[in-house]
Amino acid sequence: MICQRCQNEASVHLTERVGGKRQELHLCAGCARKAGLVLPESAPDLGLESVVQSLIVQNVGELVGELAELACPDCGTRYMDYRTDGRLGCPQDYRVFSKGLLPSLQRFHGATRHVGKTARLRPAAVHRLRLRSQLREAVAREDYEAAARLRDQIRLKDTHA
Amino acid sequence: MTLDDLTRTSGEWLRGAGPESDIVMCSRIRLARNLADFPFTNRASRSEKAEIEAHFKSALEGAKIEAGYFDVNGMSNLDRQFLVERQLISRELSSGEGPRGVAVTPKENIAIMVNEEDHLRIQYMLSGFRLPQVWDEITALDDQLEDDIAYAYSSSLGYLTACPTNVGTGIRVGVMVHLPGLVANKQIDKVFRALQKINLAVRGFYGEGSQAFGDFYQISNQQTLGKSEEELIKILTDVVPQVLQYERSARQELVTGRRQHLHDQVSRAYGVLKTAQTISSEETMLLLSSVRMGINLGLIDDLSIATVNELFIQTQPAFLQKLRGSELGVEERNVARASYLRSRLGNGRPVEEG
Ligand SMILES: [Zn+2]
Ligand SMILES: [Zn+2]
Repeated sequence: MICQRCQNEASVHLTERVGGKRQELHLCAGCARKAGLVLPESAPDLGLESVVQSLIVQNVGELVGELAELACPDCGTRYMDYRTDGRLGCPQDYRVFSKGLLPSLQRFHGATRHVGKTARLRPAAVHRLRLRSQLREAVAREDYEAAARLRDQIRLKDTHA
Repeated sequence: MTLDDLTRTSGEWLRGAGPESDIVMCSRIRLARNLADFPFTNRASRSEKAEIEAHFKSALEGAKIEAGYFDVNGMSNLDRQFLVERQLISRELSSGEGPRGVAVTPKENIAIMVNEEDHLRIQYMLSGFRLPQVWDEITALDDQLEDDIAYAYSSSLGYLTACPTNVGTGIRVGVMVHLPGLVANKQIDKVFRALQKINLAVRGFYGEGSQAFGDFYQISNQQTLGKSEEELIKILTDVVPQVLQYERSARQELVTGRRQHLHDQVSRAYGVLKTAQTISSEETMLLLSSVRMGINLGLIDDLSIATVNELFIQTQPAFLQKLRGSELGVEERNVARASYLRSRLGNGRPVEEG
């Protein structure tokens, strides 16, 4: 397979569904980088971090393809949406897209672990976001019994908030 | 508290008080925070944004902070612009959509934006160079709000934000500095390049992409992950004094090398501001900058830094229109600006050269 932008061997293969239509994209590493797909480019420094990073570089074709398929189950944001406008959709996206995000955090901040003030632990923290996405799904599959139950749960959380 | 009340007062951060206030107009810290159970603002529905706003309002009540809440949704363009000019909201919040607003304390040292890029953007400003004090105040405020709000937080990545460039501490530590000396001797770009090398950002008065404004610049951290809030504050408290030293020696050179020329420039600037019948915003900024430096160098002794600081804000278009109570075209604003300047500076006179 050759790159769709130049004549090099393609190493990045993307499949996306846009409005029900399947679109394929085959690019070489250089053109993929130019297209803004996440590819760690800084020289690896010391430590486990850099080993992981160079592994990612070696397997980058696979990784970008895999990331392109990812979407957050809670808010529906796709990894490619984030690559386009730089904004994540919900707190869960950090977990869902971690493979793609950690290398860019390392590049931007020079670190991937938080140091500093900690938020209070909330064992009883509500999970409204999850409930709402379950509600959306229940409505989509016309399971109105489940939808009604979820709606009650969300209301209960609201009155206790 | 109403918006009209704000036209009769001015923010604590303009007081011209505190350490190094001849060069450092104010110290500011901003914290980006999100509620755990909601999509980020760009993905939140109208009703979710309304819920977020309601949660915040009850947390604010619980925190017993005396603050007015301004509903930005449905506010006139002029009023939104007025809040931008006063540094109480960002352009992004002003031009956003759906339920959103800002809580402001009467001294304007606290401003908490709701449904900006992040659900909450907590801002604390004080005049002069006192970042550690600002941090003590803002972290206490953050704790109070947290009594009623579960923040989006992960033990490995810290506070989770809509844009990964803010994740971790979610903190932006900044100082607003007045650097006319470095502008005059053309060393300013060199200083900026040095700051950028150590990951500090330099922006205009009104933030990202805004123009330099009367030789005022904001210096702030870019990194938010992997260093504690105290470490990030320390970087600025270590580096800013060096910038101040460059600025002071640049000013000293101007004074010793070209004292007469400088005194002339400052006096003319003051004279124009006191007597002009019509004046543009750009010219006003330029002249106020000269006058501000003139006061610091002892070339003008009958005008306070606080007044000059206030005038930077109070000669902006929206303020003038709020004061008049009507919308004004560019020409009318230039006349209104000159008249306002004359009324504020009327009795002053430059120092006689000894
Ligand atoms: Zn190519
Ligand atoms: Zn999500």
